[in-house]
Amino acid sequence: MRLIDHSPRAANAVQTVSPGGELFVLSVVVCMILASFGDAVDPMLFGEAGLEFALFDLGGEFSVLAMRHWHLLQLLLAGGVLATAIAVLRVGAPAVFKRLRPAPRRAIDKVPI
Amino acid sequence: MELEVFSAAFMSALFAIVLIDLVLAGDNALIIGLVARNLPKTQQRKVIFWGTFGAIAVRGAMAILVVYILNVPGFMLAGGLALVWIARKLLTPDPDAATNHAAQAPAVSFAAALRTIVVADAVMGVDNVLAIGGAASGSIVLILLGLAISVPIIVWGSHLVIRLVDRFPSVILLGGAVLAWTGYSMVVREPLLASWFEGHAATRLVAAILIFSISLAPWYSARLPEQMKPLVVLLPALLVWMLAFEVAASHWKLQVDYLLANESGEYLLEAVRWLGWLPLAGAFLWLREQFVQRSRRSQRA
Repeated sequence: MRLIDHSPRAANAVQTVSPGGELFVLSVVVCMILASFGDAVDPMLFGEAGLEFALFDLGGEFSVLAMRHWHLLQLLLAGGVLATAIAVLRVGAPAVFKRLRPAPRRAIDKVPI
Repeated sequence: MELEVFSAAFMSALFAIVLIDLVLAGDNALIIGLVARNLPKTQQRKVIFWGTFGAIAVRGAMAILVVYILNVPGFMLAGGLALVWIARKLLTPDPDAATNHAAQAPAVSFAAALRTIVVADAVMGVDNVLAIGGAASGSIVLILLGLAISVPIIVWGSHLVIRLVDRFPSVILLGGAVLAWTGYSMVVREPLLASWFEGHAATRLVAAILIFSISLAPWYSARLPEQMKPLVVLLPALLVWMLAFEVAASHWKLQVDYLLANESGEYLLEAVRWLGWLPLAGAFLWLREQFVQRSRRSQRA
C-alpha cells in the first residue's frame, strides 16, 4: 500500500485535481513535449539547410527558442509561466471582448456622444 | 555519468528523485504496525527500529544496484517502458488500494517480523528504485542524497506527505508527468537505440508524444466525452504505426520519404504508410461499438 492511498483525494487525483493545478501540470507536460521537439532538431542543421529550414520547420522554431536539453526545474518554471499567462488571458480576454462589443440598438440614444 | 554538484541538471534530478520517492512511497509504518502487533512491547520497539533501518538499507542497496543494471544494454529501454506503465498505474484510480497490503498477517517472532518488513518494503519499492535509478542518470551521489532527503520525510513525516497530496492532488499528476519524462529520457538514452535516434531525429518527438499519450491516458481520458474515448487507443496506435514504418525503413533499407519515392512500389508503400491505418482504425471503432452495444443489451437483460 502506498502512502498516497491514505488520501481518497490523492488516490483519485485525475478527478479531484483543482483547475489551477491541472492547468499547471498540463503546461509542464506541454513544455516537456516542446523540449523533446527542440531536442529532436540540431541547430547545426541551420547552417546546412539555411534559413528556410529554420522558418518552416516547427522543431527548428523551438530550437531557435533554445528549448534544447532543458532540465526539470526549467520545465517547471516555464510551465508555471505558461499556466499564469493562460490564467491571465482566461480572466482578461472576456473583459477586453466585452468592451469591444457594440452597444444594443435600443441603447444607442442613451450613449452620451 | 556524474553530474556537477549543485548544477541545474543536478538540482533537477534531485527534485525528480524526491518527488518520485514521495508519490511512490510505500506505507512502512502500516506494514510495521501490522507485522509487530502481536509481539511483546519490548520487541515491538526493536522491530520498529531495525525494520525501518533494514528497509532503508535494502532500498539504498537496490537503488545503487539499479544504476549498475541500467548500464547493461537493453535494460535502459526496458526500465523506460516499465516507468510508462508505473506512471499510468499511478494515475489510474484504484478503489481497493487502501486494502492492499504487502503484509497481512502478524509475525510470531522478531526475526520473522524483520524479514516480513524488509521483504515487503523491497517488493513495494521496486517501482520506486527503478524510477529514481533512471532519474539519477547514473549518479550514486544523487541517489544517496535523494534517499537522505526523502526517507526521513516518508518515515517520520508521512502525515505531512498525506496532507500535502490531499490538499494538492496535482502533485500526483506532476509525479506521473515526471515519471513519463524520466521514462522518455531513459528510452532515448538506451545505448542500443541512441545512434538510431541520432539518425532519425523526428522519431524522438514521436516517441515523446507516444510515451506521454500512454502514461497520462487515465488523466486525459477522464476529460474526454464518451464519443472521443477511442482516442485513448487510436492516438498511441497511430504513433506506433508511424514509428514501425521508420524502424522498417532503416532495417530493410526501404524508401519511406514521399519526396524521394520514384518507383511504383515506393509509392504503394507511401500509400500504405499514410492511409493504411484508416481501415484498421475503422475496424477498431466498429468492433468497439459492437462490444459497447452488446454490453448495454446484457445490462438491460
